[in-house]
Amino acid sequence: MATPITIGAAGGEYMESVVVTKWHVSRGARVCAGDLLAEVETAKAVTEVEAPCDGVLGEICAGEGDEIAVDATLGFLLAEGEDDAGAGGNAGTGGNAGAGGNAGAARDAPPAARPEAEASGGGRTDRVVASPLARRRARAAGLDLRQVTGSGPGGRIKRRDVEAVLARGPRAAGGALPVMLLHGFAADATTWSGLVAELGRGRRLIRPDLPGHGAAAPAGGGFEAVVAPLLEALDAVEAPRLHLVGHSLGGAVALSLAGARPARVASLTLIAPAGLGPEIDGPAVDGLCRATRPESLLPWLRRLVADPRRIGDDYARAAMAGRVEAVRAAQAALADRLFPDGTQALDLRSALAECPLPLRVIWGRDDAILPWRQALAAPGHAALNLLPGVGHMPHVEAPELVARLLRETVTAAEATGVQ
Amino acid sequence: MATMRYAEALNLALREEMARDDTIFVFGEDIATYGGVFKVTQGLAEQFGDRVRDTPISEQTLTAMAVTAAMTGSRPVLEIMYADFLPLSLDALVNQASIYHYIWNEQVTMPFVLRTQGGGGVGTGAQHAKSLDAMVAHIPGLKVVAPVTPADARFLLKAAIRDPHPVIFLEHKLLYNLRGEVDEADDAVGEIGRARVAREGRDVTILATSRMVLEAEKAAEELAGEGVSAEVIDLRSLRPLDLDAITASVAKTNHAVVVNEGWRFCGYTAELAATIMDHAFDDLDAPVERVAARDMPIPYAEPLEREVIPGAADIAAAARRALA
Repeated sequence: MATPITIGAAGGEYMESVVVTKWHVSRGARVCAGDLLAEVETAKAVTEVEAPCDGVLGEICAGEGDEIAVDATLGFLLAEGEDDAGAGGNAGTGGNAGAGGNAGAARDAPPAARPEAEASGGGRTDRVVASPLARRRARAAGLDLRQVTGSGPGGRIKRRDVEAVLARGPRAAGGALPVMLLHGFAADATTWSGLVAELGRGRRLIRPDLPGHGAAAPAGGGFEAVVAPLLEALDAVEAPRLHLVGHSLGGAVALSLAGARPARVASLTLIAPAGLGPEIDGPAVDGLCRATRPESLLPWLRRLVADPRRIGDDYARAAMAGRVEAVRAAQAALADRLFPDGTQALDLRSALAECPLPLRVIWGRDDAILPWRQALAAPGHAALNLLPGVGHMPHVEAPELVARLLRETVTAAEATGVQ
Repeated sequence: MATMRYAEALNLALREEMARDDTIFVFGEDIATYGGVFKVTQGLAEQFGDRVRDTPISEQTLTAMAVTAAMTGSRPVLEIMYADFLPLSLDALVNQASIYHYIWNEQVTMPFVLRTQGGGGVGTGAQHAKSLDAMVAHIPGLKVVAPVTPADARFLLKAAIRDPHPVIFLEHKLLYNLRGEVDEADDAVGEIGRARVAREGRDVTILATSRMVLEAEKAAEELAGEGVSAEVIDLRSLRPLDLDAITASVAKTNHAVVVNEGWRFCGYTAELAATIMDHAFDDLDAPVERVAARDMPIPYAEPLEREVIPGAADIAAAARRALA
């Protein structure tokens, strides 16, 4: 068991960090308890760090010249004969938080970064300059400030500018109701990045993670527990209404939200939605939940798309990085409730049949997870698009077409819908 | 109901309180025999004898005396002739008056009032014209009030004397001759921490302190001629702040101008601007505009002094910037 070398009380009162000025022993050197190991400099004095026990100097986490926190780990002392690699493994819990060496690097990687997560709010380069009040009014009205010309000093958008645009009616305001996008099982909000790029700007997009997915806390229950936080999220959206888009499990959620808040939903777009029949590719669901490595995840990811060449090793590695143990466990528990024994326990066919909203259903003809024939449960007023050569991920496999269809849905709904 | 000058209203408050409570005594430089350089304490010595004491010139000692007297059962009212000399009082304020109730777990109270006057406008020069409001308002444990009207002067001085905590009572040399209605029959006591809407308006809120309230009212009159409806709020209490009054007004007008006669940098207006940002950010339709003294000594020559100390024109200009 490697013993961490710490500064202890040598940091002195009031000190938050120290600089390592000198190491007196090298890696591999044998030392006795009390031997001088290193010197660190605080704002007050140079202090000696002694060996806490007998041992061999293993990994050095903070080299000469490094500034580290007073509670950081300088390095590790190994017991006689102990494997050096063991110390490196412990370094992750030693917790230097990147202050000195590479300790901590082995920690669970955070879920995959989401470069587009803020894209709907505008990039840094063309930041909208608006007063706080103007921002608040625009947010409440679902108005995109990029469509407003500012009349204040330096072109700052003031309340009067927002109100002038709103006074011209919903068309002038871009009809810009926000769009909420709900991802599918075992995915997260990053699934929408390709579609978002195609949609372009000018409309607020809300992309929550489903419970137990991405950064969201586990649901701890069945389908109702998945829907509940998203209903809260929908209620919190500061806009009179919004458009709902859902893929797979997210489609079932979107359908439930629309049923719960019909007056708040301007249109509903379902992409290969769950809940429209008992059939589902059970082995794929199990495989996605079970996979702990990119190699075991890859075949199941490939099953999601019509052309497996779309999914490479890099894709699998990136996907696996976000699927930490807690996420996998939450999803396995959820799958057990939603898809027991490879069957969809969820039946929303009557909800779909009775849905009065502007409705579009998009399905890939080569969907290997949910058969496209389930789309036939849609009522007569729904637009139905069956995409040839596309699998279970139309928004990923054909983002351009899906973006076009989505634009048509929201534009038509806003042109005819009540305001 | 009587019309009386600000100084007379203070004098009245002192007489009323001293008659009510014989633990109150008044001391300071030239306040007894001479009646105070601004005549606030005129006639008190005749009425109350040795409860009104002249002292040597030593603000540091005087303030320490106030602290110890307050701790041992008296209610001293100390006059520091010019706010410019508040720095001499600071140790007793920062290290004693403001903290003793805390470090002794409320076994002592500190019921004393430090009256002083500051501000410029009459060519009294760099050592007798400053507004050091921010310096005392910075200290937790002190209350700081600055009434503008004679009626408020009376009510708030009575409130300050009765308060169990140390209160810095800021007057202004150009307010002493201001006349106003005072209802002598009304024996109410003011409430420290409540602002006053001096003028109602809907387009822009002007928060001001002490004599700057009068300048803000002039500015509001000027703005009214341009079709701008300015609301003037007399803070009355610099610490504690009347947060409700401030946020309610900013929520209504969405524009704020903050005015204080002290220096701009790290000044009282900076605190007001930050407070509005903390509590009413989403109500703002423009950045908060600050109006304060230029960051330099107050010149002796009156034309220069007018350039350094803010006035109605500066406040109106700031309101126009906010509304631009």
